Amino acid sequence: MSEPLSQRAATATPPVLAHRIRGLSDRAIAWIFVAPTIALLLAVNIFPLIWTIRLSLTNYRSNRPNAPVKWVGLENYQKILHDPDIWNTFQVTAHFLIWTLVLQVLLGFGLAYLINKKFRGNDLWTTIIVLPMMLSPAVVGNFWTFLYQPQIGLFNYVIAFFTGADPSSFSMIGDVGLAPWAIVIVDTWMWTPFVMLICLAGLRSIPPSIYEAAECDRASKWRQFWTITLPMVLPFLMLAVLFRGIENFKMFDLVVQLTGGGPGSTTELTSINLKREAFEKWRTGYASAYAVILFVTVFGLASIYVKALNKVKDR
Amino acid sequence: MSEFISGLFRLRRGPWEMLATILIALGVVMLMQPFVLILFTWSFLVTLAGTVMFIIVSHFPE
Amino acid sequence: MSAVSVTVPSRRQKWIAGTVVIIYALVTIMPLLWIIATGFKTPSDAISYPPKVIFQPSLEGYVNLFTTRSRVAPDTLAALGEPTTWYDRIVRQYDMVITGPSRYGARFLNSVIIGFGSTFLSVFLGTIAAYAFSRFKVPLKDDLMFFVLSTRMMPPIAVAIPIFLMYRQLGLSDTHLGMILLYTAVNLSLSVWLLKGFIDEIPVEYEEAALIDGYTRFQAFVKVVLPQAATGIASTAIFCLIFAWNEYAFAVLLTSGIAQTAPPFIPTIIGTGGKDWPAVAAGATLFLLPVMVFTILLRRHLLRGITFGAVRK
Repeated sequence: MSEPLSQRAATATPPVLAHRIRGLSDRAIAWIFVAPTIALLLAVNIFPLIWTIRLSLTNYRSNRPNAPVKWVGLENYQKILHDPDIWNTFQVTAHFLIWTLVLQVLLGFGLAYLINKKFRGNDLWTTIIVLPMMLSPAVVGNFWTFLYQPQIGLFNYVIAFFTGADPSSFSMIGDVGLAPWAIVIVDTWMWTPFVMLICLAGLRSIPPSIYEAAECDRASKWRQFWTITLPMVLPFLMLAVLFRGIENFKMFDLVVQLTGGGPGSTTELTSINLKREAFEKWRTGYASAYAVILFVTVFGLASIYVKALNKVKDR
Repeated sequence: MSEFISGLFRLRRGPWEMLATILIALGVVMLMQPFVLILFTWSFLVTLAGTVMFIIVSHFPE
Repeated sequence: MSAVSVTVPSRRQKWIAGTVVIIYALVTIMPLLWIIATGFKTPSDAISYPPKVIFQPSLEGYVNLFTTRSRVAPDTLAALGEPTTWYDRIVRQYDMVITGPSRYGARFLNSVIIGFGSTFLSVFLGTIAAYAFSRFKVPLKDDLMFFVLSTRMMPPIAVAIPIFLMYRQLGLSDTHLGMILLYTAVNLSLSVWLLKGFIDEIPVEYEEAALIDGYTRFQAFVKVVLPQAATGIASTAIFCLIFAWNEYAFAVLLTSGIAQTAPPFIPTIIGTGGKDWPAVAAGATLFLLPVMVFTILLRRHLLRGITFGAVRK
């Protein structure tokens, strides 16, 4: 580019306008630069949100746009919050959430701790470990159903190889008892690297001088771990846990492809249940109230997350 | 602890944010616990209260 | 004992750490290698027991992925004469003929159009907004930044209900424009937060010097800040692209035909008599490989991208 963009823009526009653009005050530029972002987010996020709240107070059904819409007040909320089936989807979500977090924190922290020993080639292996997390959850989740096939699936084969069980004797996604664990395994496989990367950043932020000082005080390695390593990594770990917690609270793509919520409703996470209400049963008003409950919960968790984020940033 | 309480009275951001955080966390636990239906029923209001509180108190001075 | 030996792990420690990490890495890429391998198997090899690690590579999966085929009677087949191309030959083994291209190419192209379109828009809007947030006093700045971030956190299914109704009213459902706008909005939060971090790191003195030299604010932004932020803008763009590329929930709810992207399409690939796993794996391989390459390119910026710029490394 021979001429800078601004000059070309200036020569292309009529002189009066060019003068105006170039002579804009900082205040005006600030507004012009921020406005499109805010406008787009208002149109695609805030306006729909307000609409959802409005719909949540009605019995509107989007598959019957011409049917009369009745104002039902808070009835939808009342129904949802008294519904044992919906309560159950939250419990299913809780099982998924707790176990994925526990496994990912243990594995992620452990891996980060080992990678931080800076063995030869650790960069290469870190990159390989990170790969699953960057891929499309729906496409990968779909392929995992193949790995989980009884007999012909690789997962069943490997498990059978090590335990001596018959590889066709169990079906990870067809069995009521195993399905909740099938989704935990895939999510852990996919997202452990996320926790690992953040823990690694935490470990690398600890100045070596602290350990040297502790060594002078003759603190044991065990003590050093509990009094230096863990407390220093904790803010980072909090960040990772909150983020994964929010993501898995609203988990949809991976699990819907893996099990579709079945068998029965054993893996029917809240988002999958909401999708059924909204886009299969078409109870739009009811589903909107459901959505508002999720919105508020995620919004609350997100504000805690931002607080944790700023804490890490300030370090 | 007394610092926490005096912070509450002087409308400082730190302790109030802490309170809101606890309220949100409590709401989420109530939402997802498998024990008592009545806690599930009230969880939404608790979370909502915590979230609204968080938005308000984040404008308090440090 | 010198101070160095305290913090530097011993050879033995390194060896143990390396072994454990390498074993984990090998286990963790198995499913990915299996996807790639399955794409080159024949359907019977793919479902054999025990699972085949060594097999005769075949392009059948790829042929099935890109074509639609139909079975014909043996005498009709004989009347067609010898197959002229290698892919015809593969299909003829099963008494079938190729009847046309499959929809995979079109779905892949949709992913490219929507991915690049939304990435361009969100990085462009994100850059200017991030500059304003970084350099000027914007009223309610913290609230706006939080608002921007929180939009990213919203459950897609919950957002999809009103978007679905809105798009139906505006005629945007199942259109490229609708999907580009939606992904732009979702990606904006990431690009604003990431780019604000990158621009914050550029010393203000550079611009001040430019302003003293008689540049206007706008010129200083274009000539001084943009070149300095180029690396940051590029890595932000890749993150936005990967998100749009991988997105499934909005795509499956808001598109069904014309604008459908690859993620909702790949799981629906079926062959004759059950799922055609080699074709699914072939489709997945082609779809996932670009992201794997980008991940390797991005490795230095990964942390920054996934934590909204909070952790810089």
